[in-house]
Amino acid sequence: MIEYRDVHKAFDLPVLSGVDLEVHDGETLAIVGPSGTGKSVLLKTTIGLIVPDRGDVIVDGQSVYGSGPGTLAEVRRKVGYVFQNAALFDSMTVYENLRQGLPDALQKSLGGQEMLRRVCASLEAVNLNPGHVINKFPAELSGGMRKRVGLARTIVGEPRIILYDEPVTGLDPVNSAAVERLIRRIRERMGVTSLVVTHDIEGALGYCDRIALLDRGKLAFVGTPAEFRQSHTPMVMAFADRTAAANFSVQMLDDESHGGPSESWQNGAETTRGA
Amino acid sequence: MRWLAHLGLGILARFGRAGESVTTHAGGIALLVARTAKALATGQVSMRAVLSQTYAVGVQSLPLVTVTATLSGIVTSQQGGYQFTGSVPLYILGSVVTSSVILELAPVLTAIVLIGRVGARITAELGTMQVSEQIDALYALGRDPIPVLAAPRIVAGILAMPVLVGFANGVGFLAGMIAARLTVGLGTEAFLYGARMFWHNWDMFYSLMKAVVFGFTVPVIAVHMGLLTRGGAEGVGRSTTASVVFMIIAVLVMDALFPPLLLN
Ligand SMILES: Nc1ncnc2c1ncn2[C@@H]1O[C@H](COP(=O)(O)OP(=O)(O)OP(=O)(O)O)[C@@H](O)[C@H]1O
Ligand SMILES: [Mg+2]
Repeated sequence: MIEYRDVHKAFDLPVLSGVDLEVHDGETLAIVGPSGTGKSVLLKTTIGLIVPDRGDVIVDGQSVYGSGPGTLAEVRRKVGYVFQNAALFDSMTVYENLRQGLPDALQKSLGGQEMLRRVCASLEAVNLNPGHVINKFPAELSGGMRKRVGLARTIVGEPRIILYDEPVTGLDPVNSAAVERLIRRIRERMGVTSLVVTHDIEGALGYCDRIALLDRGKLAFVGTPAEFRQSHTPMVMAFADRTAAANFSVQMLDDESHGGPSESWQNGAETTRGA
Repeated sequence: MRWLAHLGLGILARFGRAGESVTTHAGGIALLVARTAKALATGQVSMRAVLSQTYAVGVQSLPLVTVTATLSGIVTSQQGGYQFTGSVPLYILGSVVTSSVILELAPVLTAIVLIGRVGARITAELGTMQVSEQIDALYALGRDPIPVLAAPRIVAGILAMPVLVGFANGVGFLAGMIAARLTVGLGTEAFLYGARMFWHNWDMFYSLMKAVVFGFTVPVIAVHMGLLTRGGAEGVGRSTTASVVFMIIAVLVMDALFPPLLLN
């Protein structure tokens, strides 16, 4: 279980301004929201990659920021993190990358043969052919393949909690479906708790138990997929269905055209509309 | 009057900021050294990583060290030969070349080579890992970049530098001796006689001490600056340049501190 308690974070401008959220054991919770609202920042506060200015994160009853550094190490062992841009170690082959996902002690007890078997199983789980990719370097892979190797590197260590930062962005429909199946299967077979940041709302509504909308540093909505579809909050409606989204963004443009900071851009937009 | 006060305050503020950044860097570096020492003491550092880094540092720098050491021998020999003509017995040149090379030129020029070939690479490498979230990924996988990345590079510098400086001493000495014969006609016998006359064993120790200190300083600063990198490719470029400047100044300042600390 993960609990975010009043999490605040500002860089130059405030990014998170008081996020309270609970992710229950075995639950898959999707987080959606406009680009740049702090979804990645929120995920990073879970394992101390970004330290909140205020508030705390509790993972399985342990306070990440309220106790010593030992807790942080323990939380990191328990929590797997799938990076938005894969973050593969580019001086290592795919095999070595995945090996980093297994703790040293486990590597020793497993032995080379069993380790290779696990690595191959993880690659197959993300729809990659181990024979083709295992000895390649990240630079020799396509963007979508890198993304899936990053996912494989996280699941190979079988974490109890997985944080996914846009796991399907940039993937073709077949591979997106494979990754969604994987998220569902990991949860069903191993009872993993998952937090999935995504822009693919339709996909997320299919596999998540609850969905949260982050907007301007606060949670604007938390509820089940059914509640999400029926909500009358304008932002939720914009996210729940494409036609509403189109209307919504036009409306936002109209609102802003009454003297916003990006004057020249709006003039450009207006000329286009006038033409 | 007002603008004068303004100017004064501006200058003070600039000094203040510089002082602030010096203390921040000093704090960061002290922490890095402490964490590295702890990682080494608790056996978290892989011997294989240390050896492969040492090999890379040593072998990578060897060609350029040969060039700088040769030139330093030749230049001091010619310079001394030109100044001594007529006034001092020429065999003194043997001593001048030997001590200039061993006490000063070999350690400092080798450190400069280390900065260019190894230090800059370390900062760029770790900086790229930082901005592409690879350092975050290490943390997320429960690994610590200090034992994995920092410690092997720092230990490699400490191990490889004395070997490189010892090599540069030999090469510089030989180059000086040959240049003395070819340019001012000082024979090998006389050169060696002069070299031995003022020789202290302490000189060699002093030279290798410098090597160890520079071999430690350069990678420590390089790693520190690499891990501080922010902001994409441009950020990597910026931090690499800053790191090179920082390493050069650190080496020269420490070189200036050596005589008062150790030569009396
Ligand atoms: N390390 C950082 N330093 C400074 N600012 C940052 C940092 N990380 C994020 N930000 C800022 O925080 C804000 C939120 O960033 P974040 O990456 O969380 O957005 P996001 O919701 O994940 O967007 P996207 O959907 O595009 O991935 C952005 O304005 C970004 O500029
Ligand atoms: Mg993001």
